[in-house]
Amino acid sequence: MSVAGRTLFTLAPLTALVAVLWVLGTQTLPFDFGWDWIPALDIELAFRIDGLSALMLLMITGVGVAVFVYAGGYLSGHPDQKRAYLLLSLFMVAMIGCVTADHVLVLFVFWEGTSLLSFLLVGFYHERRESRKSAQQSLLVTGTGGLILLAGFIVLGQAVGSYRLSEIIVAVPAMAPTPALTLAMGLVLIGAFTKSAQFPFHFWLPNAMAAPTPVSAYLHSATMVKLGVYLLARLDPAFGEWPLWVWLLKGVGSVTAAWGMVLALRERDLKRILAWSTVATLGTLVVLVGLRGESASLAVGALLLAHALYKAPLFFVAGNIDHGAGTRLIDRLGGLRRQMPWTAAAALLAAASLAGLPLSFGFVAKDVISEAKGLGEVFTFARMANTVFGTIAVAVAGITAVRVFWLRVPPGGVREAHEGGAALVLPPLLLGLVGVVLGVYPLLAQDLLAAAAAAMSPAGAGNAVPAPLDPQPDLGSLLLGLMFGVAVFLLWDRCHRGLEWLAVRTGRIGMSSVYERSLEWIPRVAAWTTRRMQTGSLPAYVAWVLASVVLALGVMLWLGSAEWTWPARAVPSPGVAGAAGLIVLGAVFACLMRDRLVVLLSVGLIGYGSAVMFLFLGAPDVAYTQFTMETVFVIVAAAVLLKLRRMGLDRAVPEPAWRPGALLLSLLVASVLTALLLAVYATPFDPVLSAFFGEQSVPGAYGRNVVNVILVDFRALDTLGEVAVVVLSLLAALPILQAWRRRARARRPGVGT
Amino acid sequence: MTSRIVILAVVARPLYLVILLASVWVLLRGHDEPGGGFIGGLMAVSATILWAVAHGTAAARARLPLGDALWPAVIGLLLAALSGVPGLLGGGAYLTHLWWTLALGPAELKLSTVLLFDIGVYLAVWGALAGYALALLAVDERDQPGGAP
Amino acid sequence: MIWAVAAAVWITLASGVYLCLSRDVFRVALGLAVVGAGVNLALLASGRLGAGLPAVVPKGEQLLVGASNPLPQALVLTAIVIGFALVCFSLALVLGLIRDAGTDDALELRAAEPVPGDEVKPPQTDPAHAPDWPPEGRP
Repeated sequence: MSVAGRTLFTLAPLTALVAVLWVLGTQTLPFDFGWDWIPALDIELAFRIDGLSALMLLMITGVGVAVFVYAGGYLSGHPDQKRAYLLLSLFMVAMIGCVTADHVLVLFVFWEGTSLLSFLLVGFYHERRESRKSAQQSLLVTGTGGLILLAGFIVLGQAVGSYRLSEIIVAVPAMAPTPALTLAMGLVLIGAFTKSAQFPFHFWLPNAMAAPTPVSAYLHSATMVKLGVYLLARLDPAFGEWPLWVWLLKGVGSVTAAWGMVLALRERDLKRILAWSTVATLGTLVVLVGLRGESASLAVGALLLAHALYKAPLFFVAGNIDHGAGTRLIDRLGGLRRQMPWTAAAALLAAASLAGLPLSFGFVAKDVISEAKGLGEVFTFARMANTVFGTIAVAVAGITAVRVFWLRVPPGGVREAHEGGAALVLPPLLLGLVGVVLGVYPLLAQDLLAAAAAAMSPAGAGNAVPAPLDPQPDLGSLLLGLMFGVAVFLLWDRCHRGLEWLAVRTGRIGMSSVYERSLEWIPRVAAWTTRRMQTGSLPAYVAWVLASVVLALGVMLWLGSAEWTWPARAVPSPGVAGAAGLIVLGAVFACLMRDRLVVLLSVGLIGYGSAVMFLFLGAPDVAYTQFTMETVFVIVAAAVLLKLRRMGLDRAVPEPAWRPGALLLSLLVASVLTALLLAVYATPFDPVLSAFFGEQSVPGAYGRNVVNVILVDFRALDTLGEVAVVVLSLLAALPILQAWRRRARARRPGVGT
Repeated sequence: MTSRIVILAVVARPLYLVILLASVWVLLRGHDEPGGGFIGGLMAVSATILWAVAHGTAAARARLPLGDALWPAVIGLLLAALSGVPGLLGGGAYLTHLWWTLALGPAELKLSTVLLFDIGVYLAVWGALAGYALALLAVDERDQPGGAP
Repeated sequence: MIWAVAAAVWITLASGVYLCLSRDVFRVALGLAVVGAGVNLALLASGRLGAGLPAVVPKGEQLLVGASNPLPQALVLTAIVIGFALVCFSLALVLGLIRDAGTDDALELRAAEPVPGDEVKPPQTDPAHAPDWPPEGRP
């Protein structure tokens, strides 16, 4: 792909960024806009940009520009580079839709859009099996979570009476916690947790590292995994006063943060180390959403921004190392600073922020976080999780920025490595620099973060001005964290071996293997139900269908049975009674007789009986038709029967003469349908149509036989369609019968040729 | 060939004609008296089956209009479909029927697109159901010379 | 009157469904015809049973008075013809089935998914899919 093409694609996020800046500069937040979508269902394409949306939008588009530039270099020469650009562009649109949608169903559509697009992006190297598997896993986890989220949204919308996020967060705090609301909250939480890789759905995120590095940098630093946190922050004003909500967020977030960091120690792959540290950051974010108070909201915004600004460049660095040195395994890397000086510089800038060193934006975020925890009543476990998180963050920063560039020249000397082009070096450097600039001048981000914090606060409380971002270095705790971190950094390999030893022994209870096993169960359950339902027996299938009919009609009749009166009893006319007698005779014989010819004749008797009945009910046309049809049918069916007999198939199929189950079901079906007929008969009759036909037949259609006039004039199109069906069915049947004759002749050489 | 079948074969010719004439009569009077295209068509089918039983399905098929079951079926369908077009051209809805009366001395002849439609139904029912019946009857026939194709 | 018709509908439907639940595919096709007859009767009866006079306007009159309801008659009339086509089609299917599978027993139709060792659906014993048809040795 040419440079011009790449530039063209890069214009997409750039334009979006400019547009976002323009909106922020010219409009007062919150800024609403929308169009009708499905007016019948009262679904509107409603969008709303407030402080939180603005923060997310800036990250999506800003990091997006860096990612698009980087993808130009990283995937340079890849035959499918265009596809990557297209998918990334679509993904960006879906993300923008997600963070601006005000209608929850619109939000859901974009949410699932990000899941689907991330499936395609993670599976970008589709020729690799591992890649396909990871893509499938991320789609199954986040897609299923999305469906649960939809259920939650619907329950929430029904309970609140509005599907607008802006109205929900106002309405819910005033409502009592009904079971429906609690259910909605639980479902929404599951949806958000799957998306943001919270425990126990954390396992898909590191596996998604099979994606190309630009995709990882985009999806797992600034965008997709942040969606869950975004949604939680968005709904926090609604549910923030519920103890259940607070405790779930704090608990799950703490476990995720601690567990993610510990698992980071297990890895040797740079990208997977970063992925686990992302999981841990997401956990911390969830805890912060759960904490009360203005400064907690401020901390959420600060950490969101800081993480995007350091994690994206670190992914870029990992990608550069992979690109330049051919591996991402930290055992084989070391002393790369001479070959890759610019990447090393970018790594240092970003890692400083990750470790929370002074003069980086990470330090600012860390300061706000500790302030938030100091203000709110602090869950002990959350504090411990944060300590683990901080410690290992320092270690991870050391690994990615120090170890591979400055230390540990592996045996056999420094690997052959080379620096990538400007497209590979500039994005991480720029993002790292932004982090440092914001670290030195945190007031630059003050307005943005304050607006975001206001959006996360309950209505009415958003007026309080948050404390200015003016970090006070607490040297004691800073040094303590650094010391622990450096210790872990130095003992990394030892920790790794220990954890590996543990992991091998506890693999079966890990979520990853639970997921694998549940995947294996799907086909097993499917096979079992198929075996039970699809037995291969035609009578069983017919019975299934008929039983369902009986059930549906029976329930319907039973529910309405209170309003019915049965028709009055009267002695039938002799003709009708005689016809009924013929029918009964035929029906009984048809069921009892074994010989097929007798059964056929009994069926004919039923037909003639119903013809007689038609005659005496005042329907001569129908009666003549039925007579002729029945005669033709019996002759034709007898011919088929004779053929079967000549082929030796005249013996009846070996089935019991008496089938009680079938008899019961047939009696049930007949009873339900007859009851339906009687019920219909007992209701008042609406003669509008019949009267119309009776009045209009002679003056309007010049015909005295009203039945025929209906057939050929009033409802002629209907008749035309029916005749066409008959002719078409013949066209379908003829090949079957002609093939039969051809085959029969082919078996008898010398005949008919 | 048993004597029974000889008798059937002898009786078949007049019966065939009578049934066919009756079916046309039923068709034509259908608009005012019981009858019509469906019943007439089914009667014609029974005439065809009579011929098939007496002389074999191939002979019965040969006696159908244009010598095959599909022709009357398709022509009847087309006739019925086209009978609606004049009404459409006349500014009405599709299948709005038109009537003309021809004075023939003392009697008068009523012509209409309804009659065309009914004849179409008659032909389509005759062709389609006779096609079914002949194909199924042919299954039982030994492959003798003069049997079904 | 309606009760006699209802009784006829009831026993027609019952016997038709009973035939349809058989293993014998020929019987199933016949059962289809019987069910059709029962449904036609029910359809006609649901249009209310009148005096039993044909729905024909007497000569010279303009209005249909006191006759049976013509609308269900028209519907049933076409239903009979379509029902005949349906039953003939199913007879053709029965014949095609016998030609391809060599049996008229619905429970012996095992060609669709024979899984070896499955207790619900035993595998087809005869691996030769095409039956020897018509059987050798029989005229």
